[in-house]
Amino acid sequence: MEGRPTDDPELLARAQRGDTAAYEEIVQTYQQLAFRTAYVITGSAADAEDATQEAFVKAYRALASFRPGAEPRPWLLRIVANEARNRVRSRGRRQQVELRLAGSYRPGGAAPSPEAAAVAAEDSNRLFDLVSELGEDDRLVIASRYFLELSSEETAAALGIPEGTVKSRLSRALGRLRARVEEASLA
Amino acid sequence: MPELIELEQQLSRLGAELEWPTTPNLASAVRRQIATRQPRFDNRWALAAAAVILALAALGAYPPSRDAIAGWVNLHTFFRTVPHLPTPTPLPSGPLGPRLGLGGQTTLAAARAAVKWPLLVPASLGQPDEVYVQPPPDRPSGGEVTLVYTTRPGIPAAGETGVGVLITEARGAINSEYFGKMIGPGTTIEPVTVAGSSGYWVAGAPHVFVFVDSSGNVRLETLRLATNTLLINVGGTVVRIEGNLTKAQALAIAASLA
Repeated sequence: MEGRPTDDPELLARAQRGDTAAYEEIVQTYQQLAFRTAYVITGSAADAEDATQEAFVKAYRALASFRPGAEPRPWLLRIVANEARNRVRSRGRRQQVELRLAGSYRPGGAAPSPEAAAVAAEDSNRLFDLVSELGEDDRLVIASRYFLELSSEETAAALGIPEGTVKSRLSRALGRLRARVEEASLA
Repeated sequence: MPELIELEQQLSRLGAELEWPTTPNLASAVRRQIATRQPRFDNRWALAAAAVILALAALGAYPPSRDAIAGWVNLHTFFRTVPHLPTPTPLPSGPLGPRLGLGGQTTLAAARAAVKWPLLVPASLGQPDEVYVQPPPDRPSGGEVTLVYTTRPGIPAAGETGVGVLITEARGAINSEYFGKMIGPGTTIEPVTVAGSSGYWVAGAPHVFVFVDSSGNVRLETLRLATNTLLINVGGTVVRIEGNLTKAQALAIAASLA
């Protein structure tokens, strides 16, 4: 996942001093992570784009609230996720996230036989469907941790919940997903 | 839990092979908006808040101007002096709790039960008209309670809050810069002692008040103008008394805390 360059603090410091070129670099660095996070929350690419753009503008205006030397990802994700949730609220409902599988799955890194690839793809599709059928809280915490690869702190920022709640919510979500996987394999 | 670990591995692999919608390149659009768009505001209050944000931005660019007054750690407050503050603004609209970032409304009894420390209530004002509790993580580990007194004899509602007196109490592991104040040239700061508790009386022209979260980031939604305020540390509890008060009235309220 992008958004983990080593010179972020310097860029942030320059942006805080009013260097818009530095802020543009920050936008470039984080826009994919921000957009995908907004997409997971809104379920709509158009809403995610609007939310992400608005969030970057707001983040620029709030640069003074960013503590120098702190990790920028949770700070940015909190602003992005707030914007995304505002859009869901104003629309009254959240759309179902529609993602496809790229078909590049390579278990163990070895080139699979066509049969093995087909089985793996089917397994992935089934697992994705089972995740999609979970409740919203479960879906969001799983998507944040495994699809967006957010840390626990970043997941807390994105979902607007305490970091301690992330762990318990993830544990419950995985438990429910496992039960569904077991049910599906018995069916 | 090998099954769970395997499931987590499967989810990680699944994440790696998802096809996401194409990420739009937002840099140029964001740059244009930053350069041309004025902030959208619903009222003069928000406009004033924006002016303060800009002032904060200016201060952030010059770290030495921070922490203008040292030695206030026990009040968990940072002060910054600024050359200009927004002009006083009309009362913002909306319910008091969300408007001032006070947390959820509750009863005095429930608030006492929600925090582990002995809640202080000023005998001179009697029972509060409204009580709010703000739990962690946005607030200190011990939580935060605000007592609201709409009006009292000799204490009219303040334009900055819409109520007579706000008493906010916080305790626990909190950031040394939990409360933030920005002080303009028309505001005075004076050290005071009340029944053995040390504090400061901030009075005069309205100053800017803001909460700071546990990460040290200013919570912009709580940024507002504040009227006269007494800040004291009573046995480890930070007490903030804000209202349309004279210094004598504020000290009397503080002295009656029990």
